[in-house]
Amino acid sequence: MRKDLKELWSYRELLFVMVQRELRIRYKNSALGLIWSFLNPLFQVLVMSLAFSIFLKVGGKSHTVYMLSAYLPFMFFQTCVLDSSQSILLQLPLIKKIYFPREVLPLACVLANLIHLLIGFVIFFALLLFVYIMDPRIVPFQINTVFLPILVLISAMMATGASLIVSALNTFYEDVKYIVTVLLNLLFYMCPILYYAENVANNDTNLKSNFLLYKIYNLNPMAALTHAYRRVLLAPKEIDLGAGLHAHWMPFPLKYLIVCAVFSFCLMVFGYWFFNRLKWKFVERP
Amino acid sequence: MNTEFGISIKDVHKEFAVNHTGIASLKSLLVFWKKRTLVKREVLKGISLDVKRGECLAIIGKNGAGKSTLLSLLARIYKPTSGTINVNGRVAPLLELGAGFHPDLTGYENVYFNAVILGLTREQVKERLPSIIEFSELGDAIGAPVRTYSSGMMARLGFSIAVHVDAEILIVDEVLAVGDQHFEKKCLQRVGEFRDNGGTILLVSHQLKSVEEFADRCIWLHDGNVQMTGKPAEVVAEYVKEG
Repeated sequence: MRKDLKELWSYRELLFVMVQRELRIRYKNSALGLIWSFLNPLFQVLVMSLAFSIFLKVGGKSHTVYMLSAYLPFMFFQTCVLDSSQSILLQLPLIKKIYFPREVLPLACVLANLIHLLIGFVIFFALLLFVYIMDPRIVPFQINTVFLPILVLISAMMATGASLIVSALNTFYEDVKYIVTVLLNLLFYMCPILYYAENVANNDTNLKSNFLLYKIYNLNPMAALTHAYRRVLLAPKEIDLGAGLHAHWMPFPLKYLIVCAVFSFCLMVFGYWFFNRLKWKFVERP
Repeated sequence: MNTEFGISIKDVHKEFAVNHTGIASLKSLLVFWKKRTLVKREVLKGISLDVKRGECLAIIGKNGAGKSTLLSLLARIYKPTSGTINVNGRVAPLLELGAGFHPDLTGYENVYFNAVILGLTREQVKERLPSIIEFSELGDAIGAPVRTYSSGMMARLGFSIAVHVDAEILIVDEVLAVGDQHFEKKCLQRVGEFRDNGGTILLVSHQLKSVEEFADRCIWLHDGNVQMTGKPAEVVAEYVKEG
């Protein structure tokens, strides 16, 4: 593996150019360009909160912002995995002609999406600033936000691992992409994005089982991570659980976040090893 | 490592798995686990070959004889099933020019990408850009998306990049005849210069006349084996006789 890493390092220029190309191609023929990186999740969230605030009547007035804070990192993971699942197949003609370390392709997808995520966060903070200017009594910023880079790092490791595995497998069996789409959909509802982690903590099953449900729920690395993102980005005193119930924020899930970080690191290392085992077979796919 | 040779190949075998049901799917994997129809086909059956630095070696043979597989092995696209391959120096494959061009990007952006894939740094590309553009004779079209190019323009740009990357070994697979007469002459001249500067060239061609003119040595591949090695004129004569 060290030899592979060394080679990858010697191709860092290519990785850089590949990311640049990835960013250029995506919005090449669109007028708004990179702004779509933020508009996409924003519209998605607006549609969801429309249903929540008008039809379901749950969530407070800033539900949209809460959803966005969790949806941005989730969307990063999702697009990384889906983009890179196709990355090898799309570049197969190139791979058949010229040698370069194949892992550059999924890695470029992850890095390009990481840039989209960062742009998303910048605009997210601009949105908070807008809220503050509109009503200076609400101060939506908080000191914990300095930990955001750590969370982004964990996200990036997790996405890298998953992308390497999925891109390698999907090259041989294109069913993988469809299976992954279903799994991502499941993962979406297993994470506190549409609802709050507090909904899980305060529901009957959890209280009866002496917080067992909440513990199991948080063992899902993505759920713990999503919860952590929310706690780091926003700091309300209490949240609206719907049906007139209010609850205090659950404490920052540090224990589970450490589990998540270790898991993400292992996933990345395993993914790299797995990809390297298969990468010579890509061009010989029967 | 012996540095007299640019390329040194010892007893290389290459097998491919051929699947008769087409592209593999998870379904076919599960349903036909027991009776998978993976047939192994041996394309190269023990090739040994040394190419000196500065030598121009031509490879001739019928379709499916293994010529392109051999070149791909040298370009490190495949790993051999068995045997060893030593390549001293950077390889620039001229296999199907413009393989990595993205249609929506401009010629300029594509030059960047392709030259970096072939091993230049961004800094070096920047230095050579004027020379690359001038050689390709594209002029102002370099700023237009590649989808608007004619195939001749694309081939010219691809060739121009490949000869500007300072490779020690040039792999030419049936692509010298790009563009019009004028550009073809320019290409041949450039490849000649490359050889005079001590570059190694591997040439696959069905144009036997250019093989005789150009190569120092010629090998004839037949069905994955080296049928004959020697002076181009002799090998070509024998190859033609065989028909």
